Amino acid sequence: MELLRELLELQHQHGFLEQEHLENLARKRGVPRYRLEGLVSFYSHFRRTPPPKRHIALCRDVVCRMNGCEELRGQLDQLARSDPDLEVVEVSCLGRCDHAPAVAVNDRPATAATAAADQLLEDDTVDWLKRPDQHHWQADPYDDPSNHYGTLKQLASDLTTLKDTCLSRLGDARLKGMGGAGFPTARKWELVAGESADTKYVICNADESEPGTFKDRMLLATLPHLVIEGMVLAGLSVGAERGIIFLRHEYSLEQQALEEALQLATQQGILGPDAAGSGRAFEIEIFVSPGGYILGEETALLEALEDRRGEPRNKPPYPGQVGLFGKPTLINNVETFVLAVSIIARGPDWWQLQGADGFDGLKFVSISGDVNQPGVYEIPVGTTVAELIQQAGGVSGTEIVKAFLPGGASSRFLPADRLDTPLDFDAIQQAGSMLGTGAVIVAAEGRDLFDLATSLVRFFRNESCGKCVPCRIGSHLAVGLLDRVADGSASPDSLDELTPLALTLEQTSICGLGQVALVPILSMLEHFPHEVPGS
Amino acid sequence: MNSQQSTAASTAANTAANTAATVEVTIDGQSVRVPEGTSIWQAAREAGIEIPALCHEPGLEPVGVCRMCVVDVGERVLAASCVRQCTDGMNVETHSETITGHRRQLTRLLLSEHPSPCQQQQQSGDCALEALGAGFNLLDSSDPAPAPAAADAPNRPRDHSSKVINVDHQACILCDRCIRACNDIQSNDVIGRTGKGVTARIAFDFDQPMGQSSCVSCGECAAACPTGALIGKTLTLPVVDREQMTGVETVCPYCGVGCAITAWSHQGTIVEVEGRESPVNHARLCVKGRYGWDYTLHPDRLTTPLIRRESAYPKGPLSPEVTDSLPGRGNKPGGLVDLDTVMPAFREATWDEALELIGEKLTSIRESHGSNALAGFGSAKGSNEEAYLFQRFIRAGLGTNNVDHCTRLCHASSVAALMETIGSGAVTNVFADVARADVALVTGSNATANHPVAATFIKQATRAGTELIVVDVRRNPIADHATHFAQIRPGTDVAFYNSLLHVLCRDGLIDHDYIGKHTEGFDELQSLVASDYSPEQAEEICGVPVKQIEAIAATIGRATPTGGGGSMIIFWGMGISQHVTGTDNARCLISLCLATGNVGRPGTGLHPLRGQNNVQGASDAGLIPMVFPDYQSVTDDTIRQKFASAWNRELDDQPGLTVVEIMKGALAGSIRGLYIMGENPFISDPDANTVRQALSNLQFLAIQDIFLTETAEFADVILPASSYFEKIGTYTNTDRRVQLGRPVLDPPGDARQDWEILCQVSRQVGLECNYESVSEVFDEFTSLTSNYHGLTHQVLGTTGRLWPCPDPETNDGTQILFGDGFPTASGRGRFVPCPYMPAAELPDDEFPFVLNTGRVLEHWHTGSMTRRSKALDAIQPEAFVAVHPDDLQKVGAREGQRLRVTSRRGAIELTARSDTGLQPGSIFIPFHFREAAANTLTNDALDPDGKIPEYKVCAVKITPAT
Repeated sequence: MELLRELLELQHQHGFLEQEHLENLARKRGVPRYRLEGLVSFYSHFRRTPPPKRHIALCRDVVCRMNGCEELRGQLDQLARSDPDLEVVEVSCLGRCDHAPAVAVNDRPATAATAAADQLLEDDTVDWLKRPDQHHWQADPYDDPSNHYGTLKQLASDLTTLKDTCLSRLGDARLKGMGGAGFPTARKWELVAGESADTKYVICNADESEPGTFKDRMLLATLPHLVIEGMVLAGLSVGAERGIIFLRHEYSLEQQALEEALQLATQQGILGPDAAGSGRAFEIEIFVSPGGYILGEETALLEALEDRRGEPRNKPPYPGQVGLFGKPTLINNVETFVLAVSIIARGPDWWQLQGADGFDGLKFVSISGDVNQPGVYEIPVGTTVAELIQQAGGVSGTEIVKAFLPGGASSRFLPADRLDTPLDFDAIQQAGSMLGTGAVIVAAEGRDLFDLATSLVRFFRNESCGKCVPCRIGSHLAVGLLDRVADGSASPDSLDELTPLALTLEQTSICGLGQVALVPILSMLEHFPHEVPGS
Repeated sequence: MNSQQSTAASTAANTAANTAATVEVTIDGQSVRVPEGTSIWQAAREAGIEIPALCHEPGLEPVGVCRMCVVDVGERVLAASCVRQCTDGMNVETHSETITGHRRQLTRLLLSEHPSPCQQQQQSGDCALEALGAGFNLLDSSDPAPAPAAADAPNRPRDHSSKVINVDHQACILCDRCIRACNDIQSNDVIGRTGKGVTARIAFDFDQPMGQSSCVSCGECAAACPTGALIGKTLTLPVVDREQMTGVETVCPYCGVGCAITAWSHQGTIVEVEGRESPVNHARLCVKGRYGWDYTLHPDRLTTPLIRRESAYPKGPLSPEVTDSLPGRGNKPGGLVDLDTVMPAFREATWDEALELIGEKLTSIRESHGSNALAGFGSAKGSNEEAYLFQRFIRAGLGTNNVDHCTRLCHASSVAALMETIGSGAVTNVFADVARADVALVTGSNATANHPVAATFIKQATRAGTELIVVDVRRNPIADHATHFAQIRPGTDVAFYNSLLHVLCRDGLIDHDYIGKHTEGFDELQSLVASDYSPEQAEEICGVPVKQIEAIAATIGRATPTGGGGSMIIFWGMGISQHVTGTDNARCLISLCLATGNVGRPGTGLHPLRGQNNVQGASDAGLIPMVFPDYQSVTDDTIRQKFASAWNRELDDQPGLTVVEIMKGALAGSIRGLYIMGENPFISDPDANTVRQALSNLQFLAIQDIFLTETAEFADVILPASSYFEKIGTYTNTDRRVQLGRPVLDPPGDARQDWEILCQVSRQVGLECNYESVSEVFDEFTSLTSNYHGLTHQVLGTTGRLWPCPDPETNDGTQILFGDGFPTASGRGRFVPCPYMPAAELPDDEFPFVLNTGRVLEHWHTGSMTRRSKALDAIQPEAFVAVHPDDLQKVGAREGQRLRVTSRRGAIELTARSDTGLQPGSIFIPFHFREAAANTLTNDALDPDGKIPEYKVCAVKITPAT
């Protein structure tokens, strides 16, 4: 953490990482140069040339693509050609698909949804994004800030009861991890609690970066106290004294909210040497990620925290046994911590009642693409996709759904006839896809699904860390092939190559990224074979 | 380093011996029982099942990046068998059709970026990727590897900037083997990955061209690379298929580490040297070993005997660069001896004529001036057999004990101290045992340059938790791996170590039990260090802060029963020995080990890192004026009688003269005839201008060498000898490991084997000397010793034996000596208290700088071999003086500018290099370069016991060259 923080600090001070500063840092810290080179070239946030006066980062991924980022890019490039002080770069998903096309101007989030390109050139014409207004979510057990941390305070006096309560309630509620993989939360806490090591860590994975996924962003901004409370409960349950929130650097607005909440929690004694009066220490710090979707993979995240290139580890061992600095580490997603507090506060019975049509609990979903009111919605589990679309103001554009992704970029496309599928882990799986990160992307009739699927594969190619062969080369070859089919230089038949390639990626890649990299295109080909150009 | 790591390391060291639990797995239907923690890949291998892998090989930490080794363990996805550990009851399938299909697909992916055939495939046909591709029928089938779209294909560059390695990033498959070879094996920390995803590739430092990076050209990366991405440049002829070449298992000719090598030859020339698995080097090599062998094929090789022409008398130096280095004359940049200038002074002769002349001249001097007017310098580069024959020739043939060699110039003081205190001059433990040490002290040693492969073991140990203490006047690269680096003032070692002993005694961090059982003289030592060497007093003398002295003592204290029960090993080099107080310096280190009980246990010991490949053996074989082979005193009547009867000659009962004393004798006229085999004192001995006069003054000088050296310019007769790669013989490394060097090539022209030449000159002076073979010479030598007893050429095999070796047929030899007492008269180790004394020549107003001399990584001693090795010469072509940037500024010079360095004895001119590793007021000059010979400046003041000159301290001034 120290080294990456020092690099970020150097960049912050000078605007970029100058060679001389890097040399000095290597000398000062006794770090080999190759290690700094490896870090600086790996993490997308680092730059080695002086920054221009105006730096516009433009999201290139699927939802922004549906909202005209290509055209915007064309306009901005035109402007940049005659303006040496302007630099325009395409970046991967900024996590603001509800404000597509999303941009960051000099690292400050904004939207170009209503603006012409030249409005991005002056600060006072930019449509800057602000922190969302406070909103009361069902999941928040506290109706007033004065009650915050009540659950924790109540349990903290007896750590055995605290742990038993947490584990049994989470277990009875059958809460699953909300980061995408859906591992039972109680089981995870129990595993780490059962490890005998004297040092353990709790990490909040706040690095959501998958196209279409931005629910955690909303939770960080509006429910930071539940994130903190969840981490403390987890820390006291598993026996950890140190918590780290791994936050993507693009979430600067949310970072402010978190920092304020952390400060307040420290003032209130929730954090500190005697956390919430438990007699045990628990501290939380924020680690701002230097960039890259892959860091959401939990072992890549650990590598980053250990100041290495964020390349996923071979597993097993899993972080629960061998995590940060080799110590047992509990890693949960933002939403998981939030929902955990909700369940621990109000019990599994309450949780069960929150679901719809026989399903249990609540879920935060982000919905974007062709809907009138893209955003984050708190829904009863079991709400159908169609109902969610209605909540989000209905389908925009042609007003007819052609296809949708129920769980983010790594889930499989589903056709419109599955719109009545309830948003639930098992139900979506039965329908042939996965709930994943709870990110619904809607494509209306008239959308070029081949183009959208290609964009998703390109995202995975762009974000591949390059550690293992199948993902590094396979995703790249697939993009090349798709591009050639799109421009007519390769025949649609050549796409047959993708099926065995996808199988090799799935079976031999080290981590989930490589395993799913070709999923979007294969599911699109399965359901919409006639969308292939030239077919 | 944090304490966590070191605790982990000592725990690991302590439990390493425990036998691990085992697990049973089924691999392809075969049941296999393996220790817990074994990878599937390894377990399969042991069961005779080869799983293909590109990124893995035994000895490397597995990374699982190529995925070629995936297997089915019944999970959702396949597992990389190189990283996945076996668990009890696991059922593994390694070669199903599906798995093979994935391997084929992965191979296709890699081939889609790989320029087939790559350079490695073209040269030696052994690119591992292309071999896989051929196996999968991917290289010329109807199912070719998919070609990426031209616009998408990563366009990776080639990099030819290194002097020894070509880099082809396009041929790279990112298996990370080079990264682990560079960082984990050699701990050189140069190579890593740069970029991300499809743009990722390997990079040197901050993605510099390899030749401009901090790469030290050890070549470990190229040796590890499975494709043509990193490939050795051609030095003689291109490398070809292994099957078309001849591989000879021999040993590296350079330093005392004695790395095992395989020399590959083709069409009568060596084309490649590779590291070979052995307990010494585990197949690692350094730049000299891997790329510095082509000197043996250099056109300057002597191929016929030479006799000095009448017109070339009176004698003196011949080549302009040497004459020009005399005081008052300008210096020119230059390289090797210029044969065009020198050769006209000699005429070719027949062997008979040359040998007869030598016999005649030496006999006549002996008859007219007595045996002690003659002397011989043997060589630590020659074999044990040659050393034995050489001292036999001098002692029995010429009748004098005036026989010495360059050990006098390197570790004579260390040996003197060791003999005096513990009764044995060799190391007490092997260097690789640093892996089991909790604390390692490296002092007066630029180990990464002078013992590069031994240094890799030290660096590796620090990564596993050994705490390294480096004490030196210069900050050398090894200090980067240290917990403590103490930069002492030149020549203040005794005060520093006395103060460490002061603190250790004061704090009770000594091993009373050990001291009581195994030592004598501790009280005297304790009283000396207690009264005069407090850390405060030492800070005054050494310039090391009190706090640091205390901290270092505390770390050493961890290796005492009271401080933690750990272990400490001490390594030292010429920075300790080459002082007028060299013997005292070594005595202090010995006291440190004895007082803390760090001899005779695993992870402990005294290890003077020996310089030449056979400096241990040459000493063992008797190239020392005071002792016969195996350190048997010439003054002991019984011993002398033993050798007299073995050699059938009356022998001199007085110790002979040492190297510098012989030179002084030559100058004074008391030494009239000198026979030198394989040494180059004109460049290597202190005060070159005096050496020049001494050599000129000799009535007769015979030289036996492979090149016409600077010293040979003064010769009357020069005999063409054989190089290391042309002969068989044994060499004893710094660990006491006796290894067999085997011939790869025939000597050129009329050059002869050295042992035969020695037999011939012996016979010329009337000494019977007839052996059937080199092994017969070895047998005679070992029969006269106890330490080499039982060793034969045959039993040494390919990895040698450590002496002493009580049962060589079944045993590797004794690694750790003196677990229970010492071979001294009392059986105890002796503390010899040493008061601090300053160096012989200290800086003053006129000569305000202290000159330190030594070596650089790429060169060997007087450069006669390395400067004739293409790669080494290309990397380090010129003489330089390293100066602290503040001092450069002070004398008004910049880096790259030529400086004139003057001492009371001479002056040289050379290029300035800025070096922050030096302390202000000190400069460093490597002594390899004849055109700016550092020994023109050095002081020939001697250590009274070791008779070693003070190469490490003399006073000089520096001025910009005009």
